[in-house]
Formats: sequence, C-alpha cells, structure tokens
Amino acid sequence: MSNAAPSIIDPTAAPAPSRGRAPTPGRRPSTRVYWLYLLPGGIALTVVIIVPFAMNLWYSLHKWKGGLAPMRWIGFDNYVDLMSDDAFWRSFQNSLWMIVAMVIVPTLIGIVLAAVLFDVVGKNIGTRTASFLRAVYYLPQILPIAVAGIVWNWIFNAETGALNEILRSLGVTDPPNWLGVPGLALPAVMIVLVWIQIGYPTVIFMSALQRVDPELYEAAEIDGAGWYRRFRAITIPQIRPETFVITLTCTIAALKVFAPIYVLTRGGPEGSTLVPSYYTFLNFFDKSKIGYGAAVATVLTFVIIVVAVVIQSLQARAERREEEGR
Amino acid sequence: MRIRSALSAVAVGALAVTMAACGSGNGGSTGDGGGSDASGGADGELSCGEITFWHYEGDDSAMNQSWLVAIDEWEAAIGGTVKVEKQTFEQLQKNAKIVLTGDDVPDVMEYNKGNGTAGQLASQGLLTELDDYAADYGWDSVLPSSIQTTARYDEDGLMGSGPWFGVPTYGEYVTVYYNEEMFADNGIEVPTTFAELEAALDAFVAAGITPLAEAGAEYPMGQLWYQLVLHHADRDFVDAFQLFDGDVDFTSGPLKEGTDTLQGWIDKGYINPNASGLTAEDMGVAFIAGKYPVMVSGSWWFGRLNAEISDFTLGQMIFPENSLNAGSSGNLLVIPTNAKEKDCAASFIDTALAQGAQNKLAELGGLPVAGDASVITDENVKVLTQNWDAIVADDGLAFYPDWPVAGFYDQVVSFGQSLLNGSKTPDQALDTLGTFYQEGRADITGE
Repeated sequence: MSNAAPSIIDPTAAPAPSRGRAPTPGRRPSTRVYWLYLLPGGIALTVVIIVPFAMNLWYSLHKWKGGLAPMRWIGFDNYVDLMSDDAFWRSFQNSLWMIVAMVIVPTLIGIVLAAVLFDVVGKNIGTRTASFLRAVYYLPQILPIAVAGIVWNWIFNAETGALNEILRSLGVTDPPNWLGVPGLALPAVMIVLVWIQIGYPTVIFMSALQRVDPELYEAAEIDGAGWYRRFRAITIPQIRPETFVITLTCTIAALKVFAPIYVLTRGGPEGSTLVPSYYTFLNFFDKSKIGYGAAVATVLTFVIIVVAVVIQSLQARAERREEEGR
Repeated sequence: MRIRSALSAVAVGALAVTMAACGSGNGGSTGDGGGSDASGGADGELSCGEITFWHYEGDDSAMNQSWLVAIDEWEAAIGGTVKVEKQTFEQLQKNAKIVLTGDDVPDVMEYNKGNGTAGQLASQGLLTELDDYAADYGWDSVLPSSIQTTARYDEDGLMGSGPWFGVPTYGEYVTVYYNEEMFADNGIEVPTTFAELEAALDAFVAAGITPLAEAGAEYPMGQLWYQLVLHHADRDFVDAFQLFDGDVDFTSGPLKEGTDTLQGWIDKGYINPNASGLTAEDMGVAFIAGKYPVMVSGSWWFGRLNAEISDFTLGQMIFPENSLNAGSSGNLLVIPTNAKEKDCAASFIDTALAQGAQNKLAELGGLPVAGDASVITDENVKVLTQNWDAIVADDGLAFYPDWPVAGFYDQVVSFGQSLLNGSKTPDQALDTLGTFYQEGRADITGE
C-alpha cells in the first residue's frame, strides 16, 4: 500500500552525471531493443506497485467491509473523517518520534561510531577488531524483528523483566512500568528502534570513510589538526552523500514502521505508540473498514513521496553547491 | 506487511470482480444442498470423497481430540475422508476475508464467533447459510438458546438473529480460579458472596499480597471489568449492549457502576498497576507460580492450569452472585460460500455434535454443548463442567465485552489501561469507550 516511493537506493552509486544530455543512439532499431530490456521491470512495477496503488486509491473512495460485501462510493468522505480523527493525527505525530529514533539518533551515533572504529580502533588496535565490532553493531539488523521484539518485550516486562530485575537489585523499590504507561512506552519503543538501527549507518559510514583520500588526513595532521578538527573538517563533509542516502532510506523506513510496533506494543498502551501503518492495519483487518484504512495508507504514501522528494532535492542542491564550489 | 497488503489488494480486487456474478447465488446453492439431502445426510445416503477441514486448535486440546473422534466416526459412516489442514489463529483471523474469496477454500473451517469475526464474514457473503441443515439435522433443538445466539447472524453481521452461519461444538466461560493454599495460609475464607469476595481481597491486601493476577495489555482486564458490569446488570442490558436491542447508557447504570467498582478495586490495591503492560500469558504464568491467590479468566485456561499447577490445589467458582457471566459458545464450524462439498461438510459438522465427539470433549474438560457430564472422572473437570452447565441452564452467558462492534477490542484494552494508569477518570474513560461504541453501532445498524 505504501510502496510507491523508492525505498532502496544504491548507496555506492556515484552522483548522477548531472543533467547532461544522454548520448542518443543514431539508429532507430536499437532503441526498440532497449525497450525490451525495460519490459520485465515495467511489468513488475505495474503489478507490484502501480496497480495496487491505484486500487488502494479506489478503495479509499468507498465505504467497504471487504470480502464479497458491496462497495459504496462515498467520494472523499474517508479523507474528511481522517481530518478529525485523533488517532490518525496521533499516529503521524508518533511518526516524528520514529524519525528521531530511526534516523536522527542512529545517524549521529553511527557517524561517531564509524569514525571511532575506522580512525581509532582500526588504526591503533587493528582492522580485524574494527571489523568484528562493526559486525556486532550490525547484528540487530540481521536478527528477525519478531525475535528481537519478544526479547525486548521480556526485558521491559514490568514484573519479571531483566531491566527491572536489575533496577530492583540496585535498590530501586518501584521500577518503571516500561510498556504499560503511555509516557514510557514510546521512549521504550524508541530505544529498541535505535538499537535496531545503529548498525546500518555505522556500516555505510565505515565504507564511506574508506573512500576518503588518506592524504587529506595526513595533510591536516601535519598542519597540527587534532582528531576532532579532522572529524569536523574532513570526515563529515566527505561523507555527505552517504548521509543523504541514510537519511532518505531511514526516514522512509521510519514513516512506514510496522513490525516493531506490532511485536512490542500493538499501538498501546492507550494508543500511545500508534503509527500510521499499524493504524491502517487495524482498520483493514480488525475493524474491517477497508476504505478508511486505504485512505490512511494513501495519505501515508503521499507523505512519504513528499518527504522523499524534499530530501532528494536537498541532496541535489547540496551536490550542485559542492560542484560550484570546486 | 507491505507485500502482503499489496498482494491481498490484488487478490481481493481480482476476486471481487469474478465473484460479483455469483455473489447472489449463495442462498440458492444452500437451498439445493439442504433440500436434496433432506432424506440423506446423517443416515448415510450421502456419497462423499475428500473434504478439507481447517482449524487452529492445539494437538492436545479437547477440541482437537473431539474432532479426531468425529473424523473417525464420520469416515466410518460415510466412507469419505477428512483432510485436516492446521492453520494458526492469527493467520485465519487476518486473512480469512481474503482467502475465502478464492476457489481454493476448505469445506469446513473453524472460525471465531462474534460480530467482529464470524459476523463480518457472514455479512461479507463469505459463509454459507446453514438454516436448512440446522433444521434437517435438528441442531436448532440440540443446542441451548444462548449457544445458538453466536451461530446466527443477520445481514449486518450482527449475532442473535438471522440465518445460521456456523455451529459451535463446545463452550467457554469466565470463571474465578483460586489458590486454595494461599487462602488457607492467610486464614482467609473462600468467599461465596460478592461482599465476602471483596472482604477476602481486602484481607490479602492487608497481608501484603496483591490478590488478583491481571493483564492490562490484553483481554483479561476487559473481562474482569465486564464481570463487574454484569454484576450490576440483567439480561436486558446484555441484549441492548450485545445485540443492540435497546439503548446503552455509558453515564449511568451497569456500565457506570461496574466501572466505578473496578476503579475501587484498583484504588484498594487488588490489582498491581504494573498489569497495564502485561500479557495474558504473564498473568497465567504468575498465577501458576503461586504469586497471586486469585485469577478471573476463561475456561480456556483450565486445561493448562489443571496440568501445570503442582504446588497448590486449584479451586474454581462462578463469579460470586453473578447471574450473568462472560462466556459463549466456542468457536464455530462454518462452511465457506465457495466450498465445493457443502452437504458432506454439514454431515461432518453433525458428527462433531454427536455423542462420541461430545463425550470426548466432556472427559477432557472441553465443555461440550450436547455432552453427558456423567462420563467425567477428573474432579476438577467435573466442577468446571457443572459450573458451565449451571450457567447455561440459567441462560447466563453474556458474551464478551469486545464483541459488540468491530475494533472494540483495542478500545476495551485501552480503557482498562487508562484506569490502571490513572490517566483518565472512570467517567472520562467510559465516555471515550461510549463514543466508539455508538459510532461502531451506528455503522452496523446503518444509523
């Protein structure tokens, strides 16, 4: 439903040869052959994305229970209802927190971790240790979310969970009810998301750092720049393309996050961890309000498209500026 | 989720188109089936090949064991075979409405009873009407009336009236389990009245023990609330609340009184506020471990409690002084609209209601709807079944709090959490619940 936006971008792709005219082949028949190569992708795109998206749009204009029940055309009523639906607004408000937990915090931690692993651990202790640590940070990304969710659910269990057992042994008499209180459940879910996400930017930033010309660092070092100065002046500007890619992919992932919420809290307690895709799911499957769920999904898709376009145009602008600066 | 939804959307869309043509023919095919086999069915004139049966009960469960008996009996009597395909509850719950639009559907299927579940499927035209079969096989006279309520759904998917869409073979109800040793060790009498129950709970609190095992993140808290509402309610309230037969007041009457009582119980420390984040499994495990003296929950816990509790003696009683109790028939056996062997499926369902299968249920504590309690040997099973028989005989089944409108489950869970966390007053929490209820009700009844 929410898959109209690009979600995978090749992080190693070189910046596109900016808007230069593509060389047009002179002979016509060969163009036709090229079209043939696009066919499989075109069919897949149509079947997996365009048709379901169009159907989703169509459903969102109806009141429909699903199954073989009759569909009733109601125009934009579902969208009008959404505007006054508190749960809908709360779910998008929570999306902002998801962005904090899945984009901002992991990216910041990822930059620092990558720089420390590459610069300090890699150079002083050994690249094998650095690779090992990198793999460790990446582990949560490989672990199935259902498994991670069950483990974290137990860690956060107010009565028997590991976290509260530790707190009790430290003398805390009334440890927090992590997943049971609205004010704590969202931060708890965010902690899990940060834990899941950290590996991704770390790995990408580490590969980015290998691309950076070591001479830059040597020159700066000779000029007397300390680690922090080199980090600020060389590392961060050099890995900007990767930063954009991470921001884009993670923001999209944050907007459509579903599995961790489903496994950890099911949107509770008291709706405090509701997110748009889970709200869609609730409407679609539990309430059998297919049209309404489709409307939420459509709004989510448009939000994702807009966010993706904004981030990509920011990236394009930054690249243009860089090229002009050279 | 993404891929599944997309695929589902494709499947639903494609099938909606192909099915539209034959959608109105449902009644006809049932009529044919019922009519043609009016003289056949149970007495073996039916000729059946293989029928497919989907269910999601565990291998050791009483339900599965009784269905195995039914399968053996049916295969011997009819000469056909039953191919069992195990599903998971979640799988069917979420996907049935998509899967059943296709051609590759089972002939008999277990499905959850209630407006939000079987009612939905019925109103979506996905289930076969079973009226003719019910009359031919006499199901309408075998099953007690409060059991029949969940078998019938009207065109809006509302239970209690309209044609038969499913047949329950067993029942379930919410009861009070207690730890006899904890009562004895603390010198507390086992209560027989509501006042004594509260006094006992007070005594536990005074002894530094939180008395009630609870879970606010799932169904148990809502069911306790409903038991307390029912304590103040009569059959008219249940008919209004569950079957929309009359208005429901969320500002006074049983809902208000029950909610205030529950709030009182929370305030008096009968329930640990941490329960707001706990699951039913957490609750059961804690009770089995002997951490709490009392657990108010369903008969579906019985088998496990009876098997796993070794450190204390399990006691059970009907919720004191409640003439109405949360409970209903068990899940239904339904025949999908697109099933191919409907007559054979119906005859299999009839075998599942016959003595052999029903007595197997009784023996294993599965609460048969048409069984014979005298075959039971286990003392605890006997108590469970006798309590069940008493409630059914008294027309005391009041269904479940989350049944009336689709999506109400999450609302009831959230309602309980609000009370536990103290984030809303009982009136505010009831108001939120009432708004959702009234909207959902208007949705179903068409304003």
